[in-house]
Amino acid sequence: MSKWYQLQGAENDVAISTKVAMARNVKGYNFTVKLTADEKYEIADKIDEILDKKLNGKFATTPMNEVGRDLQISLAERGLVSPEFISYAEGRTMIMTEDESLSIMVCEEDHLKIQAFLPGLELEKTFELADTLDNVLDEDLEFSFDKKLGYLTQCPTNIGTAMRASVTLQLPALSMRGQIPRLSGTVSKLGLVLTGAYGEADNPVGSLFQLSNQVTLGISEQAAIENLKSISLSIIEQERELRKELMNNLKFQDILWRSYGTLKNARVISFGEFMEAMAVVKIGVAAGEINIPNDKLNELIFTMQPATLNVEHGKSLDRQLRDSKRAEAIREVFA
Amino acid sequence: MLCQNCGSSEATTHIKRIVNGEATEIHLCYNCAEHLGYANMFSGFGFNISNMLLNFFPEFTRALPTADNSERCPTCGTSFEEVVRSGMMGCADCYAAFYDKLRPSLSRIHGRATHVGKSGKNQITSTESPRLEDTLSKLKEELKSAVDTQNFELAAKLRDEINAIEGGAE
Repeated sequence: MSKWYQLQGAENDVAISTKVAMARNVKGYNFTVKLTADEKYEIADKIDEILDKKLNGKFATTPMNEVGRDLQISLAERGLVSPEFISYAEGRTMIMTEDESLSIMVCEEDHLKIQAFLPGLELEKTFELADTLDNVLDEDLEFSFDKKLGYLTQCPTNIGTAMRASVTLQLPALSMRGQIPRLSGTVSKLGLVLTGAYGEADNPVGSLFQLSNQVTLGISEQAAIENLKSISLSIIEQERELRKELMNNLKFQDILWRSYGTLKNARVISFGEFMEAMAVVKIGVAAGEINIPNDKLNELIFTMQPATLNVEHGKSLDRQLRDSKRAEAIREVFA
Repeated sequence: MLCQNCGSSEATTHIKRIVNGEATEIHLCYNCAEHLGYANMFSGFGFNISNMLLNFFPEFTRALPTADNSERCPTCGTSFEEVVRSGMMGCADCYAAFYDKLRPSLSRIHGRATHVGKSGKNQITSTESPRLEDTLSKLKEELKSAVDTQNFELAAKLRDEINAIEGGAE
């Protein structure tokens, strides 16, 4: 079965993926920080039971301490679990669908983190996925809730809707033109945060940024989603305009075709080098000069990461072998 | 600059986040950044470093030496001092137990906002009785429309109901 990131999404020249996460805590239990491992598994069992009864066979339940290290890290590489979640496996359970588009991290920071993922910019649909699962669970579980404060969470910064929606955007042109600090400042005034997905906040690897809502109290889920969507679209438009401009620049064209050459011909390539070249190549794809589908390029962001490659090959590869396997897979896409 | 986590190596990773309008910065060395998950490209939203969260509770950290440490949540036994030090509540009832003390920080993080999103089926509150309040405001709306439509018989009945609830609540 295909994973969610192997499908085509809207606006996927710039938008890589959309994620909606909701934190929930089950009434009658202390928050995670005060729970024993047994109590944590008890909560996971309850969820498992409900999902089994209502959505039989759709979800698989995996205690994290029964999973190998490569798979744990691969889940984190693909954004399904937080690095914190796999730093200590005892008491923690992952419940997810086979395509991984819908999942529940059990006893990370809160009892449940209900998560939905879709490729491209798909905020309404992604929200609907998470919302539906939340409603199914809400029928049988009682969640900690306060009329004024909304859903109660372990950390007081998340109360209210306890929802974080985020869009991963690849912004090579805006980055090259030094527009990121300006954008960050603007979106923060609008209740959003723009942060590097990896590496430095202003200059992350592969120009990959996450735009997400920060305000959770005093704004409805729908309003937060709508706000995030309109600002995402505006950033996407700005990125597209700058990409067009860059194509008229001879120096940039040189960088573009060299990057293309690297991806098409490299025999050994690190994930970082791949991401840098791929971000540049995206601009050539947008201009129609390079004919590779965006969804194929976006998929590589997930599948080319180190632990995910290890899982794919069924063993922990040494670095050089892994870099050569990576180069091979990329050459196939660029053939 | 030295790493804020280990305090021994040079900080090479600088993370700036803005959470609900509050800018926070953290400086880590490569090893600590990796260990704490910041070297990972799809790091989640969890941002759970307790000393960073102390930034959200400046009024508490100042007040700590004189704080009444014996005050504990009746449900989970967490003391208010623990909440301040960890930045984490022990259970849902901590919000009610420490509500008055939390209020300044909650409004620093969230402004004066109250929840307007979904509520699921569970509208049980720990800081006030919502059901009574809901019933009251609904009755008052009905009363207003009954008066507007000159349905005085209904209006009288509604007024009696409202009086009964308000009288009972006092």
